[in-house]
Amino acid sequence: MASLAAKGISKVFEDGFQALTDIDLVVEPGEFVTLLGPSGCGKTTLLKTLAGFYDATTGRIEIGGTDVTAAPPEKRDTAMCFQSYALFPHLTVAENIDFGPRQAGVPKAERRARLESLLRQVDLEAHRDKLPNRLSGGQQQRVALARALAMRPAVVLFDEPLSNLDAKLREQVRREIRALQKEIGFTAIYVTHDQSEALAMSDRVVVMQGGRIDQVGRPEEIYARPETAFVADFIGAANLVPFEDLGGGRVKTPLGELRAAVPPAGNASFICWRPEDVELVEAGAASENVIRGVVRDRAYQGAHTELHVATGDADLGLQRLHVAGAAPAEGAEVAFRLGADQIRFVRSALA
Amino acid sequence: MVSLSDTAPVAPRRPRRPAFRRFTISNMLIAILLLVCVIWLVVPFGMAVLWSLLDPSVRWEYPDVLPPALSFARWIEVWNTTSLPMALRNSYILAPTVAVTTLILASPTAYAFARHDFPGKGAAQVLTLLPLVIPGFVLAIFFSALIFSLGIYSRFLSILLAHSVLFLPYAIRLMTVAFSNVRLDLVDAARDLGASPWARFRVAYWPALAPGILASLIIVFIQSIEEFAVAFVVGAPNFTTIPSILYSYLGYNFVRPNAAVVSLVLVIPNVLLMLGLERLLKSANPAQTGVKG
Amino acid sequence: MTLRRTLTIAALLTPGLGLILVMVGSVFYIAVAQSFGYYNLSGESAFSLDHWRDVLGSKQFGRSLGYSAYIAIISALGSIAIAYPLAIWMRKPFRGSLVVGSLLKAPLFVPGLVAAFLFLNVIAYHGVLNQFLIWTGLTDAPIRFQNDRNGFGVIFLQLWKNMPLALLLLTGAVQGISDEVVDAARDLGAGPLARFRKVIAPLTVQAMQAALIIIFIGAAGDFAFQVTAGPTNVQSMAQYMVFLKTSFGRWNQAAVVGVSLMGLALVGALGLAGLARLTLRGLKW
Ligand SMILES: Nc1ncnc2c1ncn2[C@@H]1O[C@H](COP(=O)(O)OP(=O)(O)OP(=O)(O)O)[C@@H](O)[C@H]1O
Ligand SMILES: [Mg+2]
Repeated sequence: MASLAAKGISKVFEDGFQALTDIDLVVEPGEFVTLLGPSGCGKTTLLKTLAGFYDATTGRIEIGGTDVTAAPPEKRDTAMCFQSYALFPHLTVAENIDFGPRQAGVPKAERRARLESLLRQVDLEAHRDKLPNRLSGGQQQRVALARALAMRPAVVLFDEPLSNLDAKLREQVRREIRALQKEIGFTAIYVTHDQSEALAMSDRVVVMQGGRIDQVGRPEEIYARPETAFVADFIGAANLVPFEDLGGGRVKTPLGELRAAVPPAGNASFICWRPEDVELVEAGAASENVIRGVVRDRAYQGAHTELHVATGDADLGLQRLHVAGAAPAEGAEVAFRLGADQIRFVRSALA
Repeated sequence: MVSLSDTAPVAPRRPRRPAFRRFTISNMLIAILLLVCVIWLVVPFGMAVLWSLLDPSVRWEYPDVLPPALSFARWIEVWNTTSLPMALRNSYILAPTVAVTTLILASPTAYAFARHDFPGKGAAQVLTLLPLVIPGFVLAIFFSALIFSLGIYSRFLSILLAHSVLFLPYAIRLMTVAFSNVRLDLVDAARDLGASPWARFRVAYWPALAPGILASLIIVFIQSIEEFAVAFVVGAPNFTTIPSILYSYLGYNFVRPNAAVVSLVLVIPNVLLMLGLERLLKSANPAQTGVKG
Repeated sequence: MTLRRTLTIAALLTPGLGLILVMVGSVFYIAVAQSFGYYNLSGESAFSLDHWRDVLGSKQFGRSLGYSAYIAIISALGSIAIAYPLAIWMRKPFRGSLVVGSLLKAPLFVPGLVAAFLFLNVIAYHGVLNQFLIWTGLTDAPIRFQNDRNGFGVIFLQLWKNMPLALLLLTGAVQGISDEVVDAARDLGAGPLARFRKVIAPLTVQAMQAALIIIFIGAAGDFAFQVTAGPTNVQSMAQYMVFLKTSFGRWNQAAVVGVSLMGLALVGALGLAGLARLTLRGLKW
């Protein structure tokens, strides 16, 4: 039985704005799912709809097999970790954590046991009697997490919980959340617009755009086999080039004729390749899938050097290459080869 | 008749439920509240207006719902035969003077609260509220004893002094907010760009201070116009203000239409000033958010 | 702090805070001194407890004290009780909320005496209220509402004038609570009542205390409403004080009443504020 199942969710706000369209999402128990997408794509809206703060305009939500579509937040077995933490400023750390269980009428002994173990797990035993405004950002974040977990909810919902922390703390708390999740085994839906956070933490990533889900998959799948131009571009860097199908895996592109290992699907409209998937070759080498151009711009990045290369077709814009080791200078003519199995086909963003 | 659903296009995805719920709860509450407000405000004020316009030649008695004849005769009569013109003059000379005096007295203290940190500042700020927590008539009576023993005989000066002290808490509070809204980065930027002190005041201080100054002037003005305890205890019977006149009409010589006239004379300028103040406070908001950001 | 800075700050505080302290201090001093027989405006001054004994011994004083306390407590608690639900309801703006808010707050800017007049007009023997009651058939003959013995008229006026003040203070405080904190409480299973008890009330207790204090003091020291609309068989403290001073020139006795009134204001206001805090502490869980 799925921990959470949302079917055909859409959300139209009072002002007529459609923030979500036909969202289908099934999350298995113990899974860590990340909602990833640009600002304004509806991540918070989806999370609040799942939590019950917004009524879904259409669709159905099940939590632990029960239909909760019409239930208010206080009746749903979810707990939310807010971006602003939303700790109760008048309650101590321990009282904050204890709030939910007390509300739910959990017996006292059980409440105490939960409190003690959570305080230990989030390493806040020394701060149990402090008010939230006396805590550092990372500590407040951990209180918010412990408060959500104290409910023993079927699903924990995180809305960009780390965005108020500095880079280093972020990294640390991120690891702590993941470790805790593995230890306790709660189901998590985690909103972020930081792609590296999404790739690093998740069992599965849900990429959203304009209120729709573009692609769902394991981080490796999402990165290695993007299905849309949007996903390819949003996760990592990608070169996208339109093509014409010549049949048999051969395509005609503004870069010249190329051969791909797998033929394109019917609705594909771009070829896509990652900047690091190329191999520089001798300028004179005549071989399959070799593209020539002039280096226009060059940025040293440490592990690799990023080249922006102008190819014959000026309208196409510059192609991005990542080259390890010695890289050609600006203005140099280069030739590079794309492996046939590095060429992928993607749908256009809006398809 | 064919049922509508047969012909209407099926629209299963309309967000019906929330719209309906909004209608029942919120709109009904608003409707009820508006009704209460009508009873709360429109009925009492409507009655006062009708009474003030009641023609002296007729009587408005049960069971007439509306007065039989209306005219401005009462207004003219009150104006010509009572001390209302003098009271108006007194009140409208006193109140602006009080407003300006209070502003001048309040500004240095407000500046200190907004721009300096010193030990005991919290306590000092609480102490400025003292005039608000002394019951008005206690203050009025023993203030009159004080000026009597000091030998101050000018009623005007006495009331001016008492009103200034009474309303200082409002002015200090408003001006403290105004002074803390002055953006020091703007002051520095102006200096950096070589602005003269006057130019600095104009670009950095005045925009933040102006709403506070105006709000303080208006609030103290309104309060002074309607203040009754001091004006009555210290001023009566030589120095009449509008509230003292109204009091006499409500007490020993109760004349309903005259009381209605004086009530309206007292309350109408208030309403106009309040509308101005509301607008002012709204326009002051950008300045405040500018400081936070 | 350097001497120079100290002097600067002292100079800045003098015209505002300094004046307040001198004036309020002198007034307070005169009231206390007169109540003990000093500072007489005529005749000689000598320490004496006679005035206190006379006043405290009189039946009228006890009645006045009790009456003023009664009016003040009911007015303060009543204003809060009406204003809280309204403030919570208006926490989030909605269509028409600005209009509703201004209408509710309008009485704040109606002078007390005008309010009293308007009220007298409405409840008059042949006023609209009686006409309405007869029209609906609730009564056969007009009822005499004016100067009712329980002081309901005065309480109504106090609520009319003071509820908006409580509303103003509470709306500000309630709007200061972030949506996410309230949402978090919901998410953790708190229904509307629990959200009020455990989150909203504790976070707005200071505004509530401020409203209680200001309204209590104002209502305890009320003169205008009492004289125009109050019961005729009992005097409020302020009325009693003015009566002693104006009718008989008994400054010393008026001073005793005045000092007692300040005491009532202090004790009552602090008591209510403390009670509010204690109640909330009890409600926290
Ligand atoms: N109450 C509302 N009424 C109308 N439109 C809204 C409302 N709340 C959000 N929106 C709109 O819905 C869209 C999605 O908003 P949402 O807050 O879900 O974005 P998000 O993906 O969480 O973005 P971010 O990463 O910036 O937090 C936005 O275009 C927003 O303007
Ligand atoms: Mg968001």
